Amino acid sequence: MKCTVCRGPAVIDVRRHNSAFCPDHFVKHCQDQVRKAIHEHHMIEPADRVLVAVSGGKDSLALWDLLAGLDVTADGLYLGLGIGDYSDESVQHARAYARAHDRALHEVDLGADLGFTIPGAAEATHRSPCGACGLSKRHLFNRFAVDRGYDVVATGHNLDDEAAVLLGNVLRWDVGYLGRQHPVLPASEGFARKVKPLVRLGEREMAAYCVMRGIDYQVEECPMAVGNRHLGYKEALNAIEDRSPGTKAAFVYGFLERGHHRFAEDVASERSDLAPCTSCGAPTPDGVCAFCKLRDRIERAPSDQGTS
Amino acid sequence: MLVKVVLRNPRRELEVRGPKSVTALLADLELNPESVLVIAGDELVARDARLADDLTVEIRPVISGGAVDVDGAARP
Repeated sequence: MKCTVCRGPAVIDVRRHNSAFCPDHFVKHCQDQVRKAIHEHHMIEPADRVLVAVSGGKDSLALWDLLAGLDVTADGLYLGLGIGDYSDESVQHARAYARAHDRALHEVDLGADLGFTIPGAAEATHRSPCGACGLSKRHLFNRFAVDRGYDVVATGHNLDDEAAVLLGNVLRWDVGYLGRQHPVLPASEGFARKVKPLVRLGEREMAAYCVMRGIDYQVEECPMAVGNRHLGYKEALNAIEDRSPGTKAAFVYGFLERGHHRFAEDVASERSDLAPCTSCGAPTPDGVCAFCKLRDRIERAPSDQGTS
Repeated sequence: MLVKVVLRNPRRELEVRGPKSVTALLADLELNPESVLVIAGDELVARDARLADDLTVEIRPVISGGAVDVDGAARP
């Protein structure tokens, strides 16, 4: 297998592009795809202050690294979820990257700063840990960005994430989520702009990028996510992709080009109906925001739950 | 002589008779090439490479995810 660009020995193939790359040209391929995504969707302007949601995993660390390669200066925010050894190890990867590359890494710890953990929240509220985790991340990353004056929150969602989410939303015809599924959610009152610069790169490419760049990331899967529906969708899509390369990209890009606008209007009107949460001030359609409701349910749970 | 193969999540090791191509190894293990990387030392091993005897390779899963989403996308 030879590099499509220089004809030197290739170390990775990208079948949906019918290409293979040597290490140097693979890094350039990743940079080109991120640059294209940022430009195509107007994700980041030169004067923007950018906050990267850093988990210590391959996607967020690769994103942080790729943005720097494109001269986009970004600070990181790590959210301590309190998931035992998994969280203890993840934060070490985030800190090590920040230290080695002289980047600013902020940290918020759910247990120490907010009085609950994700396993505890799941137990106390009888909702899935991934649901409580997603809700907490969504709220806290945005709140931190708004409070600290960041214009943009960049997340490491890649093409596989978007394809799996799209499949799930289509299978249930969840029109609200379909309207919100886009590489850019524009800023509005109380919301920083949210962007997904890795939308043109697959999960395997992100792991390969980290190996080639010597980025030490959290390889272990989150123990709370094992067996969840999202991972099942990814496996199903990869089975299709293996037989028909390019399917995931066609699915996601086709939706963005020809399907998303059909669902977006309802979302735009939803945002115009928001008012500040009576508890924390975050925009919400319900008086009290979902995150404050979650915290309230945790506080009302028996005292042995919530922080376990 | 044998090729040592390290698998992750959960971590386990096995040995296979070499030389063997990466494609054949993944097929034998019923692993989707889209879902893994094959790594020797700190370097990626291409899909068409042949694994020599005495080599140790890691097969690293690349699928991850759960609730990493913005605005209600990924749910279990």
